[in-house]
Amino acid sequence: MSHTDSLGNFRPKDAPDYEDVLQCMRCGFCLPTCPTYALTGRERSSPRGRVALARAVAEKKLEFTGAVKEEAFFCLDCRACTTACPSGVKAGEVMEVCRSQSHDFYPLGAIGKTFREFILQRMLVSPDLLEHAMLPTRLYQRLGLQWLVRHLGVLKLGPGWMAKAEGMLPSLEKPLRSQLPEVIPAQGEKRGRVGFFLGCVMTLLYPQVSRQTVRVLAHQGYEVVTPRATKCCGAPHLSEGDRQTARELALFNLELFLAQDVDWIVTDCAGCGAALKEYEEILAEDADHHRLALFRAKVRDISEFLAAEGLRTEGLREVRRAVTYHEPCHLCHAQGISSQPRQLLKSVPGLELREMAESSWCCGSAATWGLKYSEESRQVLDRKLQNVAATQAEILVTANPGCHLQLAWGVRQADMPQEVRHLMEILGEAIPD
Amino acid sequence: MISQTAIKHLQEKLGEKNVLHEKEDLLVLGYDSTPGVHHLPEVVVYPTSTEQVLAAMEIAAREGLPLVPRGSGTGLSGGSVPVRGGMVLTLTRMNRILEIDEENLTATVEPGVITLDLFNAVAAKGLFYPPDPGSQKISTIGGNVAENAGGLRGLKYGVTRDYVMGLKGILPDRSLITTGGKSVKDVAGYGFKDLLVGSEGTLGIITEVTVKLVPPPRDKRTFLAYFNDVRTAGEAVSRIIAARIIPSTMEIMDRETINCVEDYVKIGLPRQMAALLLIEVDGHPAPVAEEAAEVRRVLEQVKAAEIHVAETAEQAASLAAARRTALSALARVSPTTLLEDATVPRSRLAETFGEIERLAAKFKLKVGTFGHAGDGNLHPTVLCDERNHDEMARAHAFYNELYEKVLDWGGTVSGEHGIGLAKKEYLARQIGAGGVRVMKRIKQSFDPEGLLNPGKIFEDHDPEAEQHLEEGFRVSH
Ligand SMILES: Cc1cc2nc3c(=O)[nH]c(=O)nc-3n(C[C@H](O)[C@H](O)[C@H](O)COP(=O)(O)OP(=O)(O)OC[C@H]3O[C@@H](n4cnc5c(N)ncnc54)[C@H](O)[C@@H]3O)c2cc1C
Ligand code: SF4
Ligand code: SF4
Repeated sequence: MSHTDSLGNFRPKDAPDYEDVLQCMRCGFCLPTCPTYALTGRERSSPRGRVALARAVAEKKLEFTGAVKEEAFFCLDCRACTTACPSGVKAGEVMEVCRSQSHDFYPLGAIGKTFREFILQRMLVSPDLLEHAMLPTRLYQRLGLQWLVRHLGVLKLGPGWMAKAEGMLPSLEKPLRSQLPEVIPAQGEKRGRVGFFLGCVMTLLYPQVSRQTVRVLAHQGYEVVTPRATKCCGAPHLSEGDRQTARELALFNLELFLAQDVDWIVTDCAGCGAALKEYEEILAEDADHHRLALFRAKVRDISEFLAAEGLRTEGLREVRRAVTYHEPCHLCHAQGISSQPRQLLKSVPGLELREMAESSWCCGSAATWGLKYSEESRQVLDRKLQNVAATQAEILVTANPGCHLQLAWGVRQADMPQEVRHLMEILGEAIPD
Repeated sequence: MISQTAIKHLQEKLGEKNVLHEKEDLLVLGYDSTPGVHHLPEVVVYPTSTEQVLAAMEIAAREGLPLVPRGSGTGLSGGSVPVRGGMVLTLTRMNRILEIDEENLTATVEPGVITLDLFNAVAAKGLFYPPDPGSQKISTIGGNVAENAGGLRGLKYGVTRDYVMGLKGILPDRSLITTGGKSVKDVAGYGFKDLLVGSEGTLGIITEVTVKLVPPPRDKRTFLAYFNDVRTAGEAVSRIIAARIIPSTMEIMDRETINCVEDYVKIGLPRQMAALLLIEVDGHPAPVAEEAAEVRRVLEQVKAAEIHVAETAEQAASLAAARRTALSALARVSPTTLLEDATVPRSRLAETFGEIERLAAKFKLKVGTFGHAGDGNLHPTVLCDERNHDEMARAHAFYNELYEKVLDWGGTVSGEHGIGLAKKEYLARQIGAGGVRVMKRIKQSFDPEGLLNPGKIFEDHDPEAEQHLEEGFRVSH
């Protein structure tokens, strides 16, 4: 069957690959790992069902209907199904591609389109604009919330979304990007030169995390280069189905980082890491394969990097706390990084790691999903919080800003005692000044 | 076509959330794990109680809708595929564990309970539910009972049938039936219970299951043995049994399967080996030690290439889990994975492997084989592409010849997956015309209207079903 034959009712641009869909043998192993299936018990909201819908569209048994669009956006893109699937099917990614298809089939109204383009194609591609926009007020308010209101229609949001979005915001400092020196020298014996990919949300909402990340890197003997021109990794664009802008951003970042002459490209944002590692696929048709491979070979999540290189532990301070670790989907499922963060936590003297049940179950944040489906998000989060509470740990550690926002909000709402911290904040604490 | 009033009635009786009729919902409930079959139902219902099952059944009967019970749709013979449309009745929302009776050593559950959930719930009370189909993470007890599912521990502990003590259900004439119960002994009248076990959703809808529990084995030893050729592995199986040892598990994987599983689990299975046996002996510590020594002796005798012993319980569990993914992992290799369920007396195991190899070469097919070697239950799996009609025809011929041999040797065309749609043509060959006639009469006496799961098990020269077999892939409506 030729490529075009297998498109069926999909639009030719950015269609799911039929071969990928055909790979599903419908064994159902993915079902118990899917949060939306757990919520609804409805086959079409399961990975197996979603792949079957995509297959039906490709085989012209189904139009790209409203329900297909709905499933594409109801999927959390948490990739738990990818981890669970022995056959190598990636239902979440198929749905991500379907999100971009859905904009073709169901174009937004004029206002929605303007705002979507404004956010995705103007604000998020320009770090300066983004920081400017958010400095006077708050990011979500100024950009996210207004955009959501227009883009999705307030009525489609669950009740309480506004309060939740407000309540999620941590108090803001100045964005880190403008403060971080572009080059930070290595301490002690130099082990290499690292390009640090500073994520948008990290610089804006969690500057203290990335500040610790570069500190730890320098302390571990790495010269750290943080290119100021770095643009958004493209993950929000993929998530909203704007694959074109994602490609442009990917190309920009690729060239920028390859020009830095660094040994590695490291990030402390699981979402960014997952996107950077997917540049190979996103840019498959646009970029030189040699350069893509070169770039991919350098990209590491910070925990993956430190665990592989070996943490220098001499002189680490004791951190006498009991922590539990929530695995961000974009770390464990999208990047397959699960043991490394634990390994790092265990090398901090005095720290006690208490495993929670279902540590790799999604927290319900998932980019804007948590706001669009606020009721469902709450249920996913509750399951997580129960597992956290059962450990009676003092600190809830994670490694992704989206999870961080959601968990911190949830812990406050539920009046739980846990502090929520990024893994690098814990390591930072252990590292002497 | 189902009428709007019928849908309204269903919604009244079952609640709107439990009645689905949008095309997208129908599309995703028209398949199970059997390749190449897909038929759309007209409506899907999710009852949450026996009363709701009954109500749905009454409406189906009134509307003349075929009624197809469904668990999680992991079946491998097409049992829950609605070949004639109608109503799919999914039991996954009836998933309560009603009772774990520690005095009588029984558990009573609704049919939609996931097999592994039952296992874990009883394990938490220090008890053991042995049946463990490869699909246990998601298959339902109802589906297990309806298929009489086997599993990795089948060799020593038997299959689902050996644990079903009592059933409640609704027969096609809408009568409620209770058969068996907590009494260990029960010979009152015909054995309905045993008829319902393995009836593949054609005789009644099971709404409650009481299973027998046993004390868990105190000790166990898990071996992993590798072989340079598959036939030697088959021989090892025969010799272990001949040495009067019944391991709880004796599972086999060939090279193709080892590689696909390793691609997924990445636990360091050696890719160059021709076959692997996963052997577990369990029971009281003293005999386990003795049996383990004996198993090792036999493995050394037949010159297994490598012999390993799992060091921890986790390691043993991860090996069993890896084996459970075999079929799904094989699905990596090709778009279509056609699996069969050929089962032979154990003494024929090595020969059967030889036959599979010979036929794979003859028909130029890529075949991966794994299975419950200790039970003689093999799953030769043709890795093919359903779009390649010539290849599909060769696959068909492959199975045809293989089954001929299997039947010659006194084997069976299905060790555990049932007949469903996939093996109708072979059933008559195995049990003969007389056998089919009696079975059909039993079906008739339970279901004179032909309401429940029509088109399954028997070759009935159903033009619709035949067309479906020829085309390989079809959507009705
Ligand atoms: C990867 C994989 C591994 C497998 N390994 C094994 C194995 O080791 N051993 C084994 O035996 N099988 C195995 N199977 C096959 C399958 O999992 C079993 O047949 C299982 O019992 C089916 O359960 P289910 O809940 O998915 O039922 P379904 O597939 O939904 O239904 C199976 C049949 O049962 C009927 N049915 C379901 N529920 C009821 C009910 N409550 N009342 C009446 N009829 C009902 C249906 O009509 C259908 O005919 C495997 C399947 C897969 C995909
Ligand atoms: S996506 Fe993978 S795990 Fe899920 S049903 Fe398909 S093959 Fe099985
Ligand atoms: S990505 Fe997550 S929500 Fe989406 S189908 Fe997979 S498991 Fe379900």
